Amino acid sequence: MLGALLHSSLPRLIPIGMILLALQKTLFVELQPFGVIIQLVLAFAASAGAAGGSERGALAGFVLGILFDLAIGTPLGSSSIAMGLAAWVAGTVQLIRIDATWWISAIFVGLGAAVGETTVPVIRRFTGEEDAFVPEMWTIVPVVAVSSAILSIAFVPLARWSLGLARPEWKVPVDA
Amino acid sequence: MAIYSAGRRRTIIVLLLTSVLLITLDLRGNAVFNGIRSGFEYAFRPFEIAGEVVARPVSRVWKGVTQVDDLEDEVARLQEIVDRQRQAEIAGDNALIENRELRDLLDIESVANFDLVQASIIGSSPSNFDQRVEISAGSTDGIRVGMPVVNSAGLVGRITQVNPTTAVVMLATDPQYHVPVKVVAEIPAAELIEEPVTTTPSGVPVDELDGSSTTSTTSTTTSTSTSTTTTTTLPDPATFPGSTLPEELTTPVDTTTTSTTTTTTTTLPPVIITRETGVLDGYGGDRLPRVRFIADSPQFGRIEPGDAVLTSGGSESLAPPNIPVGRVANVISNAGTQGLELEVELNADLDRLNFLTVVLYLPPQGSSLN
Repeated sequence: MLGALLHSSLPRLIPIGMILLALQKTLFVELQPFGVIIQLVLAFAASAGAAGGSERGALAGFVLGILFDLAIGTPLGSSSIAMGLAAWVAGTVQLIRIDATWWISAIFVGLGAAVGETTVPVIRRFTGEEDAFVPEMWTIVPVVAVSSAILSIAFVPLARWSLGLARPEWKVPVDA
Repeated sequence: MAIYSAGRRRTIIVLLLTSVLLITLDLRGNAVFNGIRSGFEYAFRPFEIAGEVVARPVSRVWKGVTQVDDLEDEVARLQEIVDRQRQAEIAGDNALIENRELRDLLDIESVANFDLVQASIIGSSPSNFDQRVEISAGSTDGIRVGMPVVNSAGLVGRITQVNPTTAVVMLATDPQYHVPVKVVAEIPAAELIEEPVTTTPSGVPVDELDGSSTTSTTSTTTSTSTSTTTTTTLPDPATFPGSTLPEELTTPVDTTTTSTTTTTTTTLPPVIITRETGVLDGYGGDRLPRVRFIADSPQFGRIEPGDAVLTSGGSESLAPPNIPVGRVANVISNAGTQGLELEVELNADLDRLNFLTVVLYLPPQGSSLN
């Protein structure tokens, strides 16, 4: 299943990830609400979780995290954990509803992004970085969470397309 | 299908373990990963260029909206500074030339001894936890990991990643940044010598001369005073008793005595002394870097806000000595044996970097850093 997922999603996921990464590296380092860089790629990973469930989301988060690490030079795999976790948390929305409304998805994407962004300094601490926790965490995490929730309105459909998912439809249970 | 089947759990565990494995391999240094990074840089560059094209107008509009008032205030403030600095510039240029000549003469190592590579900033780290920028020069320009990066104001950071045409600079505010530094201070010579000595050209202290002379206390000033005294003297009749004074002697005689007194008052130029050495650590973008391991010893005098901080160099340092870093902003006393900590206001404004210079410096052979 892992292979099939990779096979079907990667051709769309990687270009979209690179476009978002390029925008994050150029546009969003300039526009910093409250001095915080909006995490486009993390928001997209969490949106993938909300769109495709925890497993598909974690896989998409893993791939996007690898792209992120390759682009910014952090240890390969460190952002994969954060983004995978963000997607996994956002994917729990499907525990509640199979076809979640946009605002329920947005809440879970925000939660996932908050968890993912909080995980970043934790992982960096484990990789030996000192002072990985910055005092601005109290600003960074809420801003990243809220911005990701807003972005999810556009990102969830985009993630659904990039993961090759059809919008689920309610079916009336038929008695056997 | 159940949302948390054993198969799905297994997939997530596999991803987690793969990430941990990748981190471990990458942290230990892996040539394959380095190759992948270089390849990715080439593949990613077109996306980045497209992003820059899109970002430029949007970013200008954003800045126009959010920063116009600040910019106007800053322009006024900078104009004032420029006017002040213009005056100091000429003297500074002269001092710089003298400094360079003296350094050459004494064979002292400085940034001017090394090749420099100019580069512009082409990107910033998209992470909230990094203080890094990307520059437009790389290994093909001779840049290697660890080389110091400066701008015209002083130390900016060091190279942490090198690609063929680009490199990543870790800024001095990054929590991972550490560099040995020294704290120096200019002490007016007057504090070292109890009283300024004022002498005549012959070396005689002015105090021993007649108290009528006037001295000035400006720095290295030679003042020459020429006093002309006109004395009208009438011979004392008592010295010529019973005699008639000759006519010419009864006429008042004007005797003109000219005495020239040259006094030289030399106030010595400020003496620069190293007060203490330590390690400068970054503390994140919004906090000032700190110098730790400073012993609270009055041996070299107390460290005070305003004292200059420069790189100390040495075989264990990735930066050559005497690169200006900044000035001491605050002195923090820690309890116990931790000693002092100094908050350092960097000379370089890391929020407004445009062009950087990479100093092609590598620590001496045999250093443990090589």
